[in-house]
Amino acid sequence: MRRGLMEWNPDELPIGALESRIARLRAAMKDAGFDAFVVYTNLVRPSAVAWLTGFTPYWSEALLLVPRDGKLVFATALSNRVADWIRSTNPVSEVTSTPKPGTLIGERLAKDALVKRVGVLEWDTLPSELADNLAAAAPAVEWADGSALFASLRRGVDEPERRMLARADKLAVAALVESNARDAGTLVGLIEQHARLGGAEEAYIHVAPDLVADRRLLRTSQSIPLAERFAVRASVAYKGSWVRRTRTFAADGSTAIADTWFGDIMRAIEAGKPLGAQIQSAIKKLSGAQLVSWMAESCVGSYPLQAVASSRVPGKDVISDGQFLVLTVELTVDGNPWIGAAPLIVGNRVSEARQPLRHSGARRRREPGIQMHTPSPCLDSGPRATRGPGMTAESLKCAVLRSTGCHASCWARTALRA
Amino acid sequence: MIADDRKARLLEAMKETGLDVLMVYGNAWQGDYLRYATNFGIIEGQALALVRNDGHVTLYLDSPLEVDRAALDCPGVEIVHAPDLVGEVDQALNRLRNQRFGAAPQRLIPRRIAARAKDINLTDQTAFVDRLLMGKLDSEVAAVRKAAKLADDGYRVFMQAARPGRADYELIAECEAFFRANGVDDNFQIIGVGGVEVKGMAPPGGKKLKRGDMVTTELTPCVDGYYAQICRTLVVGETTPEQRGAHALWRESMEAGIAAVRDGVIAADIAKAENDVFRKHGMGKYTTSEFTRVRGHGMGLFADTKPHLLENVTTRIDAGMTLIVHPNTYHPAVGYMVLGDAVVVTKTGCDVLTGTPRELFSVSA
Repeated sequence: MRRGLMEWNPDELPIGALESRIARLRAAMKDAGFDAFVVYTNLVRPSAVAWLTGFTPYWSEALLLVPRDGKLVFATALSNRVADWIRSTNPVSEVTSTPKPGTLIGERLAKDALVKRVGVLEWDTLPSELADNLAAAAPAVEWADGSALFASLRRGVDEPERRMLARADKLAVAALVESNARDAGTLVGLIEQHARLGGAEEAYIHVAPDLVADRRLLRTSQSIPLAERFAVRASVAYKGSWVRRTRTFAADGSTAIADTWFGDIMRAIEAGKPLGAQIQSAIKKLSGAQLVSWMAESCVGSYPLQAVASSRVPGKDVISDGQFLVLTVELTVDGNPWIGAAPLIVGNRVSEARQPLRHSGARRRREPGIQMHTPSPCLDSGPRATRGPGMTAESLKCAVLRSTGCHASCWARTALRA
Repeated sequence: MIADDRKARLLEAMKETGLDVLMVYGNAWQGDYLRYATNFGIIEGQALALVRNDGHVTLYLDSPLEVDRAALDCPGVEIVHAPDLVGEVDQALNRLRNQRFGAAPQRLIPRRIAARAKDINLTDQTAFVDRLLMGKLDSEVAAVRKAAKLADDGYRVFMQAARPGRADYELIAECEAFFRANGVDDNFQIIGVGGVEVKGMAPPGGKKLKRGDMVTTELTPCVDGYYAQICRTLVVGETTPEQRGAHALWRESMEAGIAAVRDGVIAADIAKAENDVFRKHGMGKYTTSEFTRVRGHGMGLFADTKPHLLENVTTRIDAGMTLIVHPNTYHPAVGYMVLGDAVVVTKTGCDVLTGTPRELFSVSA
C-alpha cells in the first residue's frame, strides 16, 4: 500500500493544469468519437487517474468517468469515512463511495441519452467485475479501448509534471547517497528512510548484493552481506510522479568511468532516432565496455512506469521530443558488471553546469542556484538536495569513510556541502 | 518450507474439488491469491498464474523487472515475461481446453479473459482459495507470530518517533527503515493525527504533531508474505480524563471480543461481543458503518483478509485462523481511537500474539 506523503498542493499542481489535461483528453475523445471516457485506478495502476485528477489511491480501487463536459465523477470502493481525504487530494471530481463503482458509473452513462460510445483505458485488462457491472448498468453503450488515445496525450510532460518528476528524482538521487551499511537490509532501510523523510509517496528499493555473482536486483529486508561490487535501484514516487535510479557501487571506485559515460549518453540522446542505435553507437566510446541490455520506460497509461522500448524487443524504439523516459543500461566494463538507470526528458537540454561529476578529486563547477550532485543529469534544475531530516551528519561521515570507493564518497560530500 | 507446504495443500484441495487447472491473478494490492499459488510477492505490474493439478506452475508477469525477481524468489515455477499479459495467457488457455478450470479472485480477472468463461469452462473458485487463505498451516501461523512480534517492535519505533513538530509521514518513514532492516518486506499502515475532527485514518498528509493530539495507527508488517497488525493510540503530552475514559471503553470492548474468539463460533459472535460493550455504555451508534468499517478481520497473505468481523458475517471461525480484534471507531468527545490485538484461534479460545501493553500511551510534548 501507499503510506508515504499523499497530499494535493495547488502550488505544485494547479487546478488549471488539471483542467488543461482534461480539456486535451476531451478534444481527443471528440476526434475519436467517444462520448465519454473511463479510467481505472488502484495503487498498482494509479497514473492515468493521477494525471487527470492528482489523486492516487493508497488502497482499494476506483473508476473515473470523464464526461464530454461537466465535472468528472470518481467512484471508489474506499470507505465513505475517507471521502474527505479523497476530496482533499482530488480537487476536480465529484467523489462517491460505493461498493460497486462499475454500477454507479454505468448508471451515470445510461442516464445520458447522447452517450453511445465510451472509451476505456486498457479495456482488456479492466477487472472483470467492474467491466460486467459497467456493461450491465449501461447495456446500450458501445465500449472501446482508449489506450492509444490516452498514450498519445502522454508523449510530453507539462510544467507541473516536469517539476514533480524533478522532485521525485531529487529524492532518489539524495537517497542513493546512502551506502553506510554492511548488509542489504540495512542499506535498503536507510535509502527508504531517506526518501520517505523527504516526502516520497512510495519508495521501492532493490539490491543486487553481489553484482559479480548475480546482476538481478531483489527486494530484500534480510542482512545479506554487501560484496565489493553491488547495485541499488530506487524507484521513487512523489505525489504520483515516478522515477527510477540505479547506481553501481564498487569498493575500488571503478564505476566512475561508466557513471561518467552514462551521464554523457543521457545528455546526448536525441528525439526522432532509434534509441537502440544511439546506445550501440555510444558504447563504442567506452573502452572495454560491452552492452548487456538496455530498457526505456515511460508513463503512457495507468502504470507509473512501463517498458516502451528495450533490447529484448527489437524495433519500435524511436523516441519523441519531450518524451519522459527512464533509461536503464547494463554493461560489463573490462569484465566488471555495471548497471545504471536515470530519468530524462528527451530534448530537455540541461545547463552546461550539469557536467557529470568528475571523479579523481576534480572540483565540480557551480553556478548560482545550480549544483551538480549526481553523476548523470537529473531532472531537477532547482536548488540542491539538502540532507534529509533523518540523515545525520554522522551517518554521512560514515558513508564517506566506508570503503565503497571515492565515487560514493564524492556523492556524500556533495550532500554534506549542501 | 512454507511455500512447499502451501503448494501441497493447494494441490490436494484441487484434487478433492476436481479442478485440473487453477488460474490466479495478483498485483501489489491484492497479491494473496498469487502468493499462495506461486510464492511470488509481486510489487509492480500484474500477474496471472496457471497451476496445473500435476504441480506445474506457470507465472506470467508483464513487468520485466519482476521477471528477474521471480526467477530468484520462485524456484520450481516457470516464469514467463508477458508484456501483453492478457494475450499471452489467452493463448495458454487455448492450449488447455477441455479441462476443469477455476479462477480466483474472479472479480479481478482481466475482462478479456473472464469474457471467455463459457468458452473455456472457467468457474469462479474464489471461495475455494479463500478457505485455504483463512485456515492457516502451522508454518503460516509461525510466520504471523513473527510478524506480530515485529509489529510490537515497530510500534515502539513509532512511539519514539512521535514528538511535536514532526510530520505524520516522518513517523512512518522511521518505521519503514526499522522494518526494512529487520526482515519486513512490506507494511500496511494508516494514521490519524488530531482531535475530535479526526473521523478515521488515512495515509499521511503532512500534518505536524502538536501537544494534545491523539495519534492513531494501524501498523501491519509482513514477514515471509504474512501480515500481522497492531492498533494503538497515543497522545502527545498528557492524556485527558475523556481520552482515558474512552480508552477504557475500547479496551473493555476489545477484551470482550478476544474472549469470544474460539473454534466453532462465527465472525458475528466476536463483533457482537465487542459492540455489546459499546451499546452497554450508550455508544451503540458508533458501531455502525457511519463511524467504523469492521470490528476486526483476518490476517495472512493479505493485510485485511477474510473473515471480516461484523455482526452480519456468518463465516465459521476455525482453529488456526489468525485475526485482529479491533473496535476502532469514533468517539464524540475525543475523536477517532484505535486499539487492536492480533490472535490465533485455538480449539478452546485464542492465543494473543500482540505483546504491546493495552494502554493509551503518552509521549512527551
